[in-house]
Amino acid sequence: MARASCVVQKISVTAVISLVIAVAAWVLFTGEAKQREWSAASEAALRRPTGYPQLVSSDPMPMADGMMGGEMCQWVPASTNTTLVAALQQEQMAANRSAPALDEDRPAVDADREPIRMIRDTYPTYSAVAVDVNTNEVYLQDENLFGFKVFNRLDNTPPNATMTEPKRMVGGLRTKLEFNCGLYLDQNTGDVYSVNNDTVNTLVIFGREARGNVPPKRELATPHGTFGIAVDEQNQELFLTIQHDNAVVVYNKMAADDEAPLRLLQGDRTELEDPHGIAVDSKNNWMFVSNHGSVHQVRPDVGPDQGDIAVTGLPTQRRERKENWPLDRDRALRGSGQSDPPSISIYSIKAEGDTPPLRVIEGPETQLNWPAAMFVDSERGELYVANDADDSVLVFRMTDSGDVAPTRVIKGPKTGIKNPTGIFVDLKNDEMWVSNMGNHSATVFPRAANGDVAPLRTIRSAPLGKQALAIGNPGAAGYDSKREEILVPN
Amino acid sequence: MAEENAVPTRLIAGQKTLLSRTMHDIRYDAVHDEFIVTNPFAQAILVFRGGADGEEPPIRVIQGPSTQLKRPDRVDVDPVHNEIFVPSVDRILVFPREGNGDVAPIRVIQGPDTRLRTSTLAVDPVHNVIVTSVGRALFTFNRTDEGNVKPRTVIDGPQTAITRINQLQIYSPKGWIVAAQPGGSGMEPEEEIFVGVWSINDSGDVPPRWKIGGPKSLLKKPRGVALNPKNKELIVADMRLNTILTYYFPEIF
Repeated sequence: MARASCVVQKISVTAVISLVIAVAAWVLFTGEAKQREWSAASEAALRRPTGYPQLVSSDPMPMADGMMGGEMCQWVPASTNTTLVAALQQEQMAANRSAPALDEDRPAVDADREPIRMIRDTYPTYSAVAVDVNTNEVYLQDENLFGFKVFNRLDNTPPNATMTEPKRMVGGLRTKLEFNCGLYLDQNTGDVYSVNNDTVNTLVIFGREARGNVPPKRELATPHGTFGIAVDEQNQELFLTIQHDNAVVVYNKMAADDEAPLRLLQGDRTELEDPHGIAVDSKNNWMFVSNHGSVHQVRPDVGPDQGDIAVTGLPTQRRERKENWPLDRDRALRGSGQSDPPSISIYSIKAEGDTPPLRVIEGPETQLNWPAAMFVDSERGELYVANDADDSVLVFRMTDSGDVAPTRVIKGPKTGIKNPTGIFVDLKNDEMWVSNMGNHSATVFPRAANGDVAPLRTIRSAPLGKQALAIGNPGAAGYDSKREEILVPN
Repeated sequence: MAEENAVPTRLIAGQKTLLSRTMHDIRYDAVHDEFIVTNPFAQAILVFRGGADGEEPPIRVIQGPSTQLKRPDRVDVDPVHNEIFVPSVDRILVFPREGNGDVAPIRVIQGPDTRLRTSTLAVDPVHNVIVTSVGRALFTFNRTDEGNVKPRTVIDGPQTAITRINQLQIYSPKGWIVAAQPGGSGMEPEEEIFVGVWSINDSGDVPPRWKIGGPKSLLKKPRGVALNPKNKELIVADMRLNTILTYYFPEIF
């Protein structure tokens, strides 16, 4: 019987650790090595010095002639980094010795430097649109460069032109416009209501003649995550969807500063699910809300958990001191999340509390796909929907319910519609405007357009055919080492 | 190598993706060629094929009453030990990487000794360390910690200059913690905005080893960080600039 000899190999601790870490790191960050190698490095790293032998792993022994009895050393395959792991085991190393040690006196190194590359879209991307029918001006919300731009209604960018210059622009830090998505234009006063999404909890209102980096003439503190806006002029009430809290808040139209909402619509029975667009019909007293479908439950008696930190910087209880303030995600019921189909839910215009919708438009026939802004034409009984992820505009009857097909669909390569998030129907001039987040443009069609039709006019703010970069409010980055691609969630 | 006015090579969007239009993290798992995204509104962790494109559904979804998920803004994946880590306010939830559906966490770090109030983290599968941000501090825990445990280290104090941390990464080969500090949540220009680098062994009131965030950097509100070791690059997502900036940063690689 051959007798194996056990040899303890003395290997430099530092050198071995460095090698293991380097191998693991190379694997981890290049994506070119195998999980087993990472695992070996990790297992070695997990162990701490104890001053006595430790069981570090157990592997099946290779069966071989003459190896059924007697003393044997652990079998270690040659030419793999398991050898290194074995060495590490013998030396009882700790992983943290491979990382830099604390050096309390070292100053921070100012490593300021210029970026070598920047991925950004230098052109406006239009999230919403409205027409001032009194002045024949078109207002376009620029969610990429933070501001809004005003054009003549009859502007039409020639195909060979890079862009159409706006008549005037509003933007800059003083305006408090940031990721501005919803837009309402008061046809009586010319006031411009701009909704900020996610990063600024303020509705800002500007006068018709605002220009440049100017402060708003009026501000209203809102819940976090507002998206859509509608105004009931008859009752002088202003409606906002709260994307983050699955809610609708209703204010006095002239509310300002810290004024509380008049009403709140929120709760499991409302079927509000990541609400985006909103439209109101003062004639029939209906409210329409478009939903993307993501939802979780909130409860007044749930949480907040220790450590729930308001995005507003205020503790949960202080935020909720306002009347009709939505329960926010601090009050979310753990594990209550669902991913439901997109929908349009219809309520009484005075709905509040945990009130179920009167009707819901939902199902595969509807073609809804991330439905965004909406517009109601009360006279004709039609509901227009900017259908973001389907590159289409859908028109429903206001009385529709269930899994119904739209009466008209404007979609196709001739339309120039790309990621539409804003819509406005100019009833005076019988035109329908669409803002296209996906291609830096706004397109206008005959009000009754249907199918794959070319727009009457296009206001374009980038070269023809230029697709938008689609980065919006990037909260993180990732790196795909296999494809050498940067991943950006928005 | 994309630059100004580039067109995305792939765009994953639409109803079937189960994504919301509010996402605060994305992580690529090079071993299994997958990427992971959170949907905070649907309280879901979505796992996609690495090459996913268009309106492609996730291949796995962690969602449901057993998950304990609440405000899942950020996430990280440990491809070595096949685990997904999710910070969830007062706790850190650990799921099996291949979990699908209404799965319970396999470990939970939670309790008064943890002092957790967190929405971000990163995991180092080599040194077996989790780093998470709590208020104005960075805490580290052992990767396998469970229950009511004290942090392994705490980086905290005025010298750290930490006010609020968003996305975190750990560069395992050297044990570097890379953190994006965006400043406050208002519109005012911020002073203490930077990407800072600490060691996983740092503790106490220690400044970052390196700091990128001065006038040359152009940074206004850095919220995301990613690393490209092959090219020794630091990738930063800046919310206010609506821009992804790439820096050559060989010192940390």
